[in-house]
Amino acid sequence: MAQAQVPVTVLTGYLGAGKTTLLNRILSEQHGKKYAVIVNEFGELGVDNDLVVNADEEVFEMNNGCICCTVRGDLIRIIEGLMKRKEKFDGILVETTGLADPGPVAQTFFTDDDVKARTRLDAIVTVVDAKHFLGQLEQGDEAEEQVAFADVILLNKTDLVSAEDLAKVEAKIKSINPYARLHRTQKSRIELDAILDKGAFDLKRILEFEPDFLEHGHDHDHGDDVASLSVTSDRPVDPDKFQKWMGALLQLRGADILRSKGILQIDGAPKRYVYQGVHMMMDADWGTPWKDGEKRSSKLVFIGRNLDAENLKRGFEDCLK
Amino acid sequence: MKLDLANPAWRTTLPQTRSVASDAPVSACAFSRDGATVAFALGDGRVRVLSAEVKDAATPAAEPLHKGAVLSLIADPLGDGFVSGGDDGRVLRIAADGSASEMANQKGKWIDRLAAHRSNGTIAAGAGKMALVIDKAGEAREFGPHQSTVTGIDFSKDGSRIACSHYDGITIWSIGQVILPPRRFGWRGSHVALKWSPDGKFIATATQENGIHAWRIAQASDMRMEGYPAKVKSLSWSADARWLYTSAQPVFTAWPFAGKGPEGRPPLQFGDEGAGLFTVVAAHPTAEYVAGGYDSGELQIGDVKARRSAVLRMSDGSPIGALAWSADGTRLAAGNDNGDMVLIDLRR
Repeated sequence: MAQAQVPVTVLTGYLGAGKTTLLNRILSEQHGKKYAVIVNEFGELGVDNDLVVNADEEVFEMNNGCICCTVRGDLIRIIEGLMKRKEKFDGILVETTGLADPGPVAQTFFTDDDVKARTRLDAIVTVVDAKHFLGQLEQGDEAEEQVAFADVILLNKTDLVSAEDLAKVEAKIKSINPYARLHRTQKSRIELDAILDKGAFDLKRILEFEPDFLEHGHDHDHGDDVASLSVTSDRPVDPDKFQKWMGALLQLRGADILRSKGILQIDGAPKRYVYQGVHMMMDADWGTPWKDGEKRSSKLVFIGRNLDAENLKRGFEDCLK
Repeated sequence: MKLDLANPAWRTTLPQTRSVASDAPVSACAFSRDGATVAFALGDGRVRVLSAEVKDAATPAAEPLHKGAVLSLIADPLGDGFVSGGDDGRVLRIAADGSASEMANQKGKWIDRLAAHRSNGTIAAGAGKMALVIDKAGEAREFGPHQSTVTGIDFSKDGSRIACSHYDGITIWSIGQVILPPRRFGWRGSHVALKWSPDGKFIATATQENGIHAWRIAQASDMRMEGYPAKVKSLSWSADARWLYTSAQPVFTAWPFAGKGPEGRPPLQFGDEGAGLFTVVAAHPTAEYVAGGYDSGELQIGDVKARRSAVLRMSDGSPIGALAWSADGTRLAAGNDNGDMVLIDLRR
């Protein structure tokens, strides 16, 4: 019996940003949908619900010597267990702790075949506290990385800051990750349709609705800070050379490259080649066909630290026909 | 119990089978110690206890015993009932008539691994990072915490120790009167299942990286076997401890543990290739046979001596998730993700 893949939403955000408020709303509102929620602190949620599962954020390193190949083993086990239940879920939400790196959660969906067969990573949603975000950036890498990984950002508590400060925070978010959809919210209030089951992680799906998705961003480079960088070309790509280059690049620089995405024009192929990665793990597939007369081009996007623009550009150009 | 798989009857007719439908996936199954009943753990919180005679009609389903899914089920070593664990954190003792009493309640944890020692009547369960041990008198003790959630648990031959698998290795605890410090055996990565050999000499685990690992306990030496096309989720030792059977292959796969052990030797692979890969394997409780269920729903039985296999059930597309032998080895129970509860009588 073929089962549809259950969409999984990963919810990140710094301590106090409003994740719990959002989860409580998802669990208590009448929306006619059934969501399983995997949380870290059982007690924090006001709702006692058998759809809430406690997890311990157990991260392990894959046995391949790469320290950035970290995976949430507890999540693999829990998803396997949830699939044994009679009730079928419209979605699964995974809450990470305020100080967690979203990398291992995202990588879990690249790693385990059973998880891949039964679920798909729908989006990484990051809740940002408009009032405290700039301060949190000073306290460590977490707040910045959570924004860098995001497909969707809820810029929350906008009622607690002036219009001027809000603009500053928004500009900072865009400088880290210009490709995430941003919603301004108060008290985490948002239509759930806007954040759940949108396919925001899957670049292939996004492109079906927004073919120019990767065109939205403007790159910024700020040295040690997390920033985004893109390379483009109108010339077709040699797929073998690209695979080799990208594989080696992520092997070497995967720790610094948090997210990478790309749409490629492969020599002679009628369809777009769509690729996405989290740290050193990557997935690629054919996307929508090029239309007749459409201008064909390739674009790669990197979000990470210490990105060497010259080097990436040269590497990509070596893959062109 | 003697099965002649060379007999053409195995090719032309399937053995006597009874199949009862339920509407929730089967996560585990077991026969009672006396072989009179067979129980199936279901994803709707029910434990279905049925007669273990193929000809008997199915009794109606009782009310759910667990909230959420039942995740584990074994025969009760102290009676003719069962012991179950659920994602409601409870361990229940279920009598042959289906009535239940609570042995432990660990709200917020999932009880997805259970083991029992036949002769001393002790039960062990994984409960988060702890191992929960409940003795014959009902007294519960906890061992741990381990580095991560306990993913496999089993008893030593004499029942004086338990072994738990977790991230980066396994831990052996002495659970008898004499308290000894725990022994830890390391191997990096995530271990997802554990089985102690019936002769007590080896402990085998399945790893996240599509392989298995084994430790020779006395010498503390270890070995790894890799190259499976999928994650191994099921391990089963032959009754004489000569072979370790594993899932995740299209044919029966047995690693040789007799004599010098499996180092540098390939596994024995035998029988006819089935549809898909094995999801669960179960060695016969006394003889040289092994049963296996596929991700396609097919069931096979193998004979490691004759190196033959026969089909017991055709594939129907629903993965087999549970498989168990009766203690006398005459009957086999299986369950799939569709909720079919299958009982097969191998006596011809």
